[in-house]
Amino acid sequence: MLKYTIRRLLLLIPTMFFVAVIVFFLAHAAPGSPFDAKSNADKPLPQETIARLERLYGVDRPVGEQFLLYLNNVAHFDFGTSFQRNRPVSDIIGQGFPVSAQLGVQALLVALALSLPLGVISALRQNSLIDYGSLLFATVGTTIPSFVVGIFFIYIFGVWFHVFPFVGWSTPSHWVLPTVILALGPMAFLTRITRASMLEAIRQDYVRTARAKGLREQVVIVAHVMKNAMIPVATIIGPATAGLITGSIIIEQLFTIPGMGRLFLTSIIARDYPVIMGTYLLYAFLIAVANLSVDLVYGMLDPRIKVGR
Amino acid sequence: MATTAATAQERAAELNVLVRKQRSLWQDAWYRLLRNKAAIVGMVVIALFMITAAIVPTLTDLHILKSPTLQDGPHQLMEPFWTPNTQYHFSAYPLGSDQLGRDILSRLLWSTRISMLVGFVPVAIIFMLGVTIGLSAGYFGGWVDQILMRITDVIYAFPDLLFLFIIMATLRNTALGDLQGGLLLIFVAIAIVNWVGLARLVRGQVLSLKEREFIEAARSIGAPSTRIMSRHLFPNILAPVIVSVAFGIPNAMLAEATLSFFGIGIRPPTASWGVMINEGFVVFSATPWPVLLPALSISLVMLAFTFLGDGLRDALDPRMKT
Repeated sequence: MLKYTIRRLLLLIPTMFFVAVIVFFLAHAAPGSPFDAKSNADKPLPQETIARLERLYGVDRPVGEQFLLYLNNVAHFDFGTSFQRNRPVSDIIGQGFPVSAQLGVQALLVALALSLPLGVISALRQNSLIDYGSLLFATVGTTIPSFVVGIFFIYIFGVWFHVFPFVGWSTPSHWVLPTVILALGPMAFLTRITRASMLEAIRQDYVRTARAKGLREQVVIVAHVMKNAMIPVATIIGPATAGLITGSIIIEQLFTIPGMGRLFLTSIIARDYPVIMGTYLLYAFLIAVANLSVDLVYGMLDPRIKVGR
Repeated sequence: MATTAATAQERAAELNVLVRKQRSLWQDAWYRLLRNKAAIVGMVVIALFMITAAIVPTLTDLHILKSPTLQDGPHQLMEPFWTPNTQYHFSAYPLGSDQLGRDILSRLLWSTRISMLVGFVPVAIIFMLGVTIGLSAGYFGGWVDQILMRITDVIYAFPDLLFLFIIMATLRNTALGDLQGGLLLIFVAIAIVNWVGLARLVRGQVLSLKEREFIEAARSIGAPSTRIMSRHLFPNILAPVIVSVAFGIPNAMLAEATLSFFGIGIRPPTASWGVMINEGFVVFSATPWPVLLPALSISLVMLAFTFLGDGLRDALDPRMKT
C-alpha cells in the first residue's frame, strides 16, 4: 500500500511536467504581446514601453529559453511575478486560494449533508413519492448547468425577493447563494449514486442472512446495508471534488468572488503568463490528488479490492 | 438467415399458426425507446429545435423575423408581451428587445443554429477520431496502443474546462479563431478535449470482444483486419458508442454556452445563448428577460438530450437500467 502510494505520488511529477509544457507553449502561442491586452483600445501603450516591459519580464526571449528559466525558478519555489499586478504569483494565489477552498469545502459539506439522507430514504421507500421527487431532482440537478441555475437563483433570491446579496464574498450572507449553487451538481449526482448503491446492497445475501437471524430492521439497515452501500459513494467523492474545483471557476465569475477561479479567468484574458501557469498547475495538482485519494480510499474501504498490483 | 426466416414464416402460415415477426436487436432497442415517454418528449423537443435551426434564415429572409443583429435605437430593453409593463409591441417585439434594441426572439432562434452546429459537428469529429483510433489501438495492440494510452494519460491530466478556456483564450486571436465568428475554433477545441474519452471506451470494448469466438472464426477464414474491424467489431461496439455520443452532444453545447458566457466563445454580434446571457447580465437588475430567456432555452435543450440519452442507454442495454 505504501509502495503504491509512493509510486502514484512520483507519477505526479511527469504528469505535472507535461501539463506545464503544454500550457506554457499554448499560452505563448497567442499572437502579439501580452502588454497589448493590458492597454485599452483608445490608449495603446507606446511601442518602446511595450519593448521595455517585455525586456523586464523576459518575454522578449525565445519561448524555449523562457520555459527553461521558468522551470528553474519553479524548482526554487519561485512562481514569478504577475504582469498585471506586479506582485509575486505566490502572494496572489495565497490570497485567492483560501476563498475558493472555503467555497468548495462548504459546498461539499452541504452536498453530502443533503444527498446522503435523500439517497438513503428514497432507496428505502423505492417508488414512493419521495423517491420520484429525489430522482427528478437528481436528473434536473445533473442536467441544468450551474451557471444557468445560478442565474435563476440570483433572479429569484437576489433581484426579486432581495433575500441574499449576490455580488462579492464579504459577509456570511454572501456565502449562501454561491455555496448552494455549487453544491447542487454534486448533490444531485451523489443522491443518484447513494440511491443506486443502497438498492444494490439491500438485495445482497448477507442482508437476507442478517434479517433471517432476527436482527432489528434498524441494525440491518445501518450496520449491513449502509455500511456496504457507502463504498461506491466514497469513491465518487473524489471526482465530485474535482468537479467542485472546476465548477467553482464559473460560480466565482458569476458572483464576483475574489477566489482562484476568477484569478485564473482574468489572467487568461489578460495573458498574464505567470498567473496562468501558477493557477493552472495548482488546479491540475489538486485534481490529480483528488483522483489519487479515491483510489487509496477505495482500497482501504473495500478489502475485496487490491490496489498496488 | 433471411431465407430460413422466410421459410419458417411460410410454414407457420401454412399451418395457420401465429408467429411473431422476427426483429433484429436494433429494432428491439427502437421499440423499447418508443415505449419511454421521457425519451419521446426529448426527441420531439430536439426535432423542434433542429427544425427551427434549419428554417430560421428563411424566416429572416422573408421578413417574418427581424435580423438578429439589427439595432433599433428607440426601442431598447422592451419587455416581453406577458409582463405588466410591456409597451405591447407584440407584432414588433414579442419577447422584448435587448439594450441595443435587438429583437430577442430573433436572437434566441438564431442561437439554436449555433447550438445545433456546436452540438453535432465536433461530436461527428470525435466519433470519427475516437472510433478509428480506439478500434485500431484495441485490435492491433502493440505500439499503436502504447502511443494512444500515453496521449490519453496526458490529456486526462488536463481538467477539461480549464483546457478549453486556455485553448480558446490563446487561439481566438489567430487566423483560425477569426473564421466563422470563432465557431470553427470552438469545433476544434471541443474535439481536441473530448475525443480521448470515446477512444478509450472503444478500445476497452474491442479488448473484451477480440478474443471471442466470432472474431476468431472470422480470422480463421482469412478475413482481412479491416473487414474484421468494420464488419464484426464495429457493429458490436456501437451501442455504448451511441450512448456516449448522445451525451456528448449536450456537453458540447454546454461548453459553447459556458465559453460564450465568459466572453471567449462565439464573437458578438453573432447571437448565441451564451453571448446573450453575457450581454444581458449588464442590465440584469433593470430587466431579467434578456438573460432568463436564453437560460431557459439552454435548460430545455439540456433536459431534452438527457432524457433521450437516458432512454437510449436503457433501450440499448436493458441490463444497465438504473
